[in-house]
Amino acid sequence: MDSISYYLQTALNGILAGCIYALFAMGLTLIYGVLNFVNFAHGELIMWGAYFLFLFMGEPFGLPLYAAIPPALALTGCLGVAMDFSVFRPLRWANRLTLLIAAMGLSVFLRNAAQFFWGAEVRTYGLEVSAGTRFFGLYLTMPQMAIILVTLLCVGAVYLLFFRSRLGKSMRALSDNLDLARISGIDTKRAILAAWVISAVLAAIGGILLALDTNLSPEMGIINLIKAFAATLIGGVGNLWGALLGGLLIGLAENLGVLFISPGYKDGIAFVIMVIILLARPYVIVGERSD
Amino acid sequence: MKNLSALVAVIAAFSFAAAPSAQAADTIKIGAAFALSGSIAVYGEGFKKCIDLAVEEINAKGGIKGKKIEIVYEDNKSNPKDCVTAVRKLITVDRVPVIFGPAGSSNFMATAPVAQENKVVLLSAQGAAVGLTRAGDYIFRVFPSDTLQGPHLARLAMSMGYKKVPVMYVNNDWGLGLKDAFVEAYKKMGGTVTDIIAYDEKKTDYRTELLRASRGNPPAIVNLTYINEGAVQFKQAFEMGIKTQWLCGSAARAPKMVELAGKAAEGVIGTYPSVPQNTKAYQAFKEAYKKKYGDDKIPIFGDYNYDMVYVTAKAIEKGGYTADGIRKALPQAAKGYKGVTGDKTFDAERSPKFAEYGIWTVKDGKIEDYRK
Repeated sequence: MDSISYYLQTALNGILAGCIYALFAMGLTLIYGVLNFVNFAHGELIMWGAYFLFLFMGEPFGLPLYAAIPPALALTGCLGVAMDFSVFRPLRWANRLTLLIAAMGLSVFLRNAAQFFWGAEVRTYGLEVSAGTRFFGLYLTMPQMAIILVTLLCVGAVYLLFFRSRLGKSMRALSDNLDLARISGIDTKRAILAAWVISAVLAAIGGILLALDTNLSPEMGIINLIKAFAATLIGGVGNLWGALLGGLLIGLAENLGVLFISPGYKDGIAFVIMVIILLARPYVIVGERSD
Repeated sequence: MKNLSALVAVIAAFSFAAAPSAQAADTIKIGAAFALSGSIAVYGEGFKKCIDLAVEEINAKGGIKGKKIEIVYEDNKSNPKDCVTAVRKLITVDRVPVIFGPAGSSNFMATAPVAQENKVVLLSAQGAAVGLTRAGDYIFRVFPSDTLQGPHLARLAMSMGYKKVPVMYVNNDWGLGLKDAFVEAYKKMGGTVTDIIAYDEKKTDYRTELLRASRGNPPAIVNLTYINEGAVQFKQAFEMGIKTQWLCGSAARAPKMVELAGKAAEGVIGTYPSVPQNTKAYQAFKEAYKKKYGDDKIPIFGDYNYDMVYVTAKAIEKGGYTADGIRKALPQAAKGYKGVTGDKTFDAERSPKFAEYGIWTVKDGKIEDYRK
């Protein structure tokens, strides 16, 4: 492999990782925007989404991939809503620290539940491994092309929903000021419900793409959540386009970073970025938002 | 004041109840801090099966001096922190004098100082890391150290004509120890290491690491990897069109790895501490395993766990059911003992003195011995 295509392939790897992070980050930032707290259980939506697909592709359903995706996404959407109803709704007016701890507890619970049903071992969807197609010296596999295409589609859909529909408008209003939105007669319950469904479905899409490209494991969510969190921080919490950009930036930074430093520190790059931003803007996790 | 003395009485009563004397009378308890959940529960289940088999056999023959062995399993959740918790619980609550330690060298090495400090014997049946038993004289292993495997892997690379290789390794005690042992031996034999790439465990994306290792199209890459990590890496390398001869250590040698990686694992070669399976002892073990569990696929390192129970039982018989007795009796009990996995004699570092190494490969989706 000559050196130009080596750099390009590294950049491509970065974009692929970035797309996945962006899908996770967009869901995370959406909930933050509307409800003003960081949902640390978002990683479990990623993982459950991927496992729901595994469920529908295996016995007793045995559905082919394309037919198993819609019910998997629907079920993850329901899980997102169930999370809200069971834990976050009763705590709607609690302070951020309470919400943070509740979300962490929920995350542990959901991770263990997945382990209970499917075991701790790593699994795959059992699709045949195939060599990638070569474009201009770069290798790209079918799941990877899907990652890029689906991410673009999701971004498009999210754009239309938020800036071209009434529902999106009400969600944006909520994100600006919950009380004011309520007074103005916006159906806040419906908007919050929609936010959970969209956030969960985006997580499931990302989780499924990630699992198609790699494997399934009960820990796949929590590992990637940290990257998604770093991405939302870069983009400014609550900002959808920022999350997209932040995801791509983290993906590129950690992959291109390997060219200069030992790959052993690859995961460290996202953490370093996160710590720097948290030092500069510590109000994000607990405390008041100043903007 | 009266209340206070009542409280003291209650506390005193409880502490007597917790004393081991009453319950220790009828069974011989051995602790086992195993991975029953978490990322390497894949292994833990298999170890448990083989331990249970050995215990059942010993108990059927009358146990140790008429007392039955009982294993107290404690889930170590596959991470160093919970491993320490599990071992502490076994020491303080169950008061066992001897513990079968966690798998995964980092996990085991986290618990070794705890056992050593509390003067409790800790054994490993699958820890290969070079410094595994360094915490002190209560720490033993029945699995050969990588100090022995590194040179074997280097010899394999040289014998196949690979005089220049990049080395990838999983960044933990096991990977680092084997990497060092390999690099040292390989350089001595005249080989050149072109790049050294450490990577983290449990990740889902190793493309960039693989890309860096495959720079300059090396004909062979040494990759000291695990089951899950190896599966992901071979799959991604295959998708990226990386054509090279993979040379691995023992930890990736598992049917699960091949199952996960599919045809991407074809042709991978590696070294492993080999256990001659044509011996009488091994056949009998295999037979007994099949009888109990219905299949003859012996779990990875299961045979070592089986031997560990027998060696420990012998030591308890010889030295008595105390930590000090077991510690002193273990070297004598193991000396010249021919277990399922061969001669279990300990060296000065409380590791097996002898080990044979074989070469494994993946052919038609199965792991088998490599033949040139």
